Amino acid sequence: MKNQNPKIILGLFSIIVGILISTQMKLKVESIAPITLKSLQTTKDEITFLNNEIYEMEKIIEQKEEELQTIMDIHKGEENIVDILQDDLEVNMTSSGRTALEGPGIKITMYDNMSSEIIGLDINDDVIHDVDILNILNDLKIAGAEAISINDQRVVATSEIICGGPIIRINGKSIGTPFFIKAIGDPKLLMASVNAPGTYGDILRSVYQIGFEPELQESIRIPAYKGNFNYTYAKPVGEGE
Amino acid sequence: MFIALIGILVGAVIGFLLPYTYNTAYSLYISVAILACLDSVFGGIRSNLENNFSVKIFVSGFFGNALLAAFLAYIGDRLGVPLYYAAIFTFGGRLFDNFAAIRRIWLNKRGRDKVRANKELKDKGEF
Repeated sequence: MKNQNPKIILGLFSIIVGILISTQMKLKVESIAPITLKSLQTTKDEITFLNNEIYEMEKIIEQKEEELQTIMDIHKGEENIVDILQDDLEVNMTSSGRTALEGPGIKITMYDNMSSEIIGLDINDDVIHDVDILNILNDLKIAGAEAISINDQRVVATSEIICGGPIIRINGKSIGTPFFIKAIGDPKLLMASVNAPGTYGDILRSVYQIGFEPELQESIRIPAYKGNFNYTYAKPVGEGE
Repeated sequence: MFIALIGILVGAVIGFLLPYTYNTAYSLYISVAILACLDSVFGGIRSNLENNFSVKIFVSGFFGNALLAAFLAYIGDRLGVPLYYAAIFTFGGRLFDNFAAIRRIWLNKRGRDKVRANKELKDKGEF
């Protein structure tokens, strides 16, 4: 071994290195960045997100296939187009708030702090504001409320809730306290969304001493929206997303 | 120097011609090992130029360093800490050190007396 020419040995081992390098290059590894926990999590989230999207798209496909089936049926003359349009109209009226609805849900009664003592530094803390109502509405919507009304004013997509001094305005009508918020949905879930400790409703009641009384109801009737939907600027762009 | 370059080129050609590949999962370990091997080869060239080349030291360093570097990368992967940085910095740094030494020896050998060159290198404290 010792008598060997070092150059030959160097050459031999260089060949080994060359083989290793070229084999590595053949693999076409784009990047050998190590997988960190963060990147793992990001990828996981991405996959979940994509899977959800796929699931939703599959649902849409199913829905469209059903629609197609209906249209085929109409074409064959098995179903009357008037009936189908009637059903469609009903669905659309319900979702736009044009029909009165009935179902289980909760009714919340809200009124200003009746105590003569002022809580906090500001008299404003003792009265109900538009923001309070908006937050409660949001909580209810998150909890899956299907229909909401405030003092028998149906909350629809265009409903505004603004401060009007001692009153609030909704759907162009002024309403004063006490406010009765009615919501149809899973009663227990709706109740929890406004009544559980730490929710906005609970803070209103326990911190600001504002009257806030949610109650479960077997059956609630929510009136239809009575205003008009006027579209001056917006124009429908066919179907689809 | 040239023998190593030629060797690497020949090896590369052989590697491309060989049908054998390994699992992509090992690519990190192999690449760190390649760095260690390259460092060993450079070290070998340098010691050859300095006339104190030892086959035993070279061969053990070649395989030992490569295995250790790959092992570090593997352990780092298991522990979630990029330990292979240790190998990259060590062997990367040494690679340049060795190359600097080779360059100096080689360039000085051309112009001047080799003994004088070595003496100068020692005076400078560089290798």
